[in-house]
Amino acid sequence: MSDASREAPRPRRVTGRAPGEPHRVAYLFLLPGLVAYVVFTLFPVVQTVRLSFYDWDGITSKAWHGLGNYRELFGSSEIRAAFGHSVELILFYAVFSLAIGLFLTALMTHFRVRGLMFFRTVLFMPQTIATVVVAQAFTWIYDPSGPLDAFLRSVGAGSFAKVWLGDFTWALPAVGLIGTWISFGLVLILLLAGAQRIPQELYEAARVDGAGFVREFVAVTLPGVRNELLVAATLTTITALRNFDIVYNTTSGGPAGRTEVPSWLMFHDAFEIHRVGLAAAIATVLTAVISLVALGISRFYTEARQ
Amino acid sequence: MNKSWRPRGLGLVAAALVAFVAVGVASAGAATSGATRAAQNPFAHYGKITLNVWSADNQDPGPKPVIVALANSFHARYPNVTVKLKFYGLTDYLKIIQLALNSGSAPDVAEGNQGYGTDSLLVKAKLIRPLTSYVKQYHWDKYFPPGAMAQFRWTPDGQTYGKGPVWGVAQFGQSTGIFYNRTALKKYGFDPDKMPTSFAGFDKLLAQLRPKVPKNEPLAVIGDKSGYESMHSYGLVQGAFLPAIAVRNWIFHAPGARYDTPANIKALTLYQQWFKKGYFGNDYNAVDENEAAAAFAKGKGIFYLGGNWQAQVIHAGLGSNVGFMNMPPGPSGKYVAVGATSLPLHISAKSKYPDVAARFIDWQIAGPQSARLMYAQNQVPAILGAPAPPKGNPYMASLGKGWQQLVKDNGLTLFPDWSADTMFQFLGAQLQELMAGRETADKMAKAVQGNWEAFDKRIHKK
Repeated sequence: MSDASREAPRPRRVTGRAPGEPHRVAYLFLLPGLVAYVVFTLFPVVQTVRLSFYDWDGITSKAWHGLGNYRELFGSSEIRAAFGHSVELILFYAVFSLAIGLFLTALMTHFRVRGLMFFRTVLFMPQTIATVVVAQAFTWIYDPSGPLDAFLRSVGAGSFAKVWLGDFTWALPAVGLIGTWISFGLVLILLLAGAQRIPQELYEAARVDGAGFVREFVAVTLPGVRNELLVAATLTTITALRNFDIVYNTTSGGPAGRTEVPSWLMFHDAFEIHRVGLAAAIATVLTAVISLVALGISRFYTEARQ
Repeated sequence: MNKSWRPRGLGLVAAALVAFVAVGVASAGAATSGATRAAQNPFAHYGKITLNVWSADNQDPGPKPVIVALANSFHARYPNVTVKLKFYGLTDYLKIIQLALNSGSAPDVAEGNQGYGTDSLLVKAKLIRPLTSYVKQYHWDKYFPPGAMAQFRWTPDGQTYGKGPVWGVAQFGQSTGIFYNRTALKKYGFDPDKMPTSFAGFDKLLAQLRPKVPKNEPLAVIGDKSGYESMHSYGLVQGAFLPAIAVRNWIFHAPGARYDTPANIKALTLYQQWFKKGYFGNDYNAVDENEAAAAFAKGKGIFYLGGNWQAQVIHAGLGSNVGFMNMPPGPSGKYVAVGATSLPLHISAKSKYPDVAARFIDWQIAGPQSARLMYAQNQVPAILGAPAPPKGNPYMASLGKGWQQLVKDNGLTLFPDWSADTMFQFLGAQLQELMAGRETADKMAKAVQGNWEAFDKRIHKK
């Protein structure tokens, strides 16, 4: 927030007051925001990074541990696997939901949809439901006696029925699909908002030129929603990387660690086995990874634009 | 962390029962209270005080109504002491208890959890006090044989387990065994009154049952969603191959103790074969322990392999059709199973009334009526010399007998996850790999031993 306000153009006054005076006043106005930012964001971040160099159980005195936690982090196949699972989840949270969102946007811009408002509301709904509730609902859906397996059996595909959340191969995709379900509504709303700003003339021109559904999408809709796509990609990727609630409430990392993700391990290390330093190290690395990925996405788009 | 095994539900029935018991106790207290009783109250000089007690034994029906009733009778006996109870679910409780005890509003009496996951830290951080003087005063050492008392002992630095002062004691005896559905056994042509008396016999019974029971039905119901639950059923197999002391030594990090011994690998191999042969069905990874016990109570499967803390839940469903027995012994002839007392009751180092707290703990484990209240909830008193279960309740008798057999044979292995703060999750996950046939017994045992050694190094370098 404070970044944005700092970048706001300052009024340049040539006459009257002594130079520099308005500047100081401006800082005074920035102060409340700055204090809140430092106390609630910057300080905890710095504190977390600091803790990652200590061995600490959360209660007794800390002991300096140097890079020990990081060595353990990079040496642990369990933690590496957890980061790997996160990458896999990006496929479900970001890639799938972007694909679905783009497809639906293409449909909705090409064809006149009756009751657009209704569909928008329904499709956005997953975003508004508490994730704990979503997780409970999907736990029920995926249950061996739940509707998914019942459906598979009723259509004669009983051999595909599985213990989804307890299956070594399928647990992670099953968790990932919950993410797709949650994310694509947000993606769709963002993309539709962008698509609404595309001048109708462009579509008319494209149609006059004989563009079909695909051509129209590639030439008009896609470039028109580029910015929204960037926002959607960044948001969903970050959600995928920091996913905790869905995993915690469906599988708790199981079976045998197949759905463990960094946030879950962080929680486990800090609160269940009292290794706050190691948890802080995971948090630090996760923050770095998320920042890099977010940066990478925006780079990719800036370059693609030029 | 051994017990996220908390059955839920039936709150209303239990609440009614508690109210009933409480009323009875209160009126009994009122009848006998008077000048003589007041003179016998060594805590009278404190004036009106509140004793804050936190517990994770929240199963209802089960332990919770027992604890509530005993708290009420304690107040009736010492009227100036008001007991304020707070109950939590175990997994949540274990995340907050060390912080609560470290805070300015620490409870006077709080349950911990044996092993390196919780108690180790409570001792090391000096959040609880050693109970040495109270052990003497209340003769708690007579209630627990040395093997059982070891689970409450820590050196004051919280690093060496099984040695040093006693830091807590507990009231319920919690062990694992075989619940069997009598009707189901009869249906497949077996006499539930002639259960096998050796481990080999039970193994054979499973082999004979498998072809008779429909393929998609499990013989033995277990839940293993969290992974730790399989430690209970595996312990029943393990006990036929190695003595309980071998497991306890491993938990206590005794020199030379190992997980990857030939005997244990043999037991792991057999356990894996039981899964390959389909004895457990295929949905165990999707249901937790409580759900599995509830399913068994509704008639699923023939056996439930698990803890006696599920006894009341199972009984509520199967009634007189359920039987309980320990896993029959292996070649050694000795009964062995995963089991220990319930969560240890500690006294906060910050408590202003440690003597009242100690009396309260004694009241819980051996107070007047405590055994009777436990039996009414199909719970087993942990202490030696507890009154025998009431006649006319063969189920409770079998549960009590199960615990006593294990105590007599020194066969309680304790819970293997106590061996390291990582083990609740790690051993659980490794057993899941084994059960799924994704890892050989040999490799799995080596991995577990590796994790144990890493922890051993971590605590002993400090």
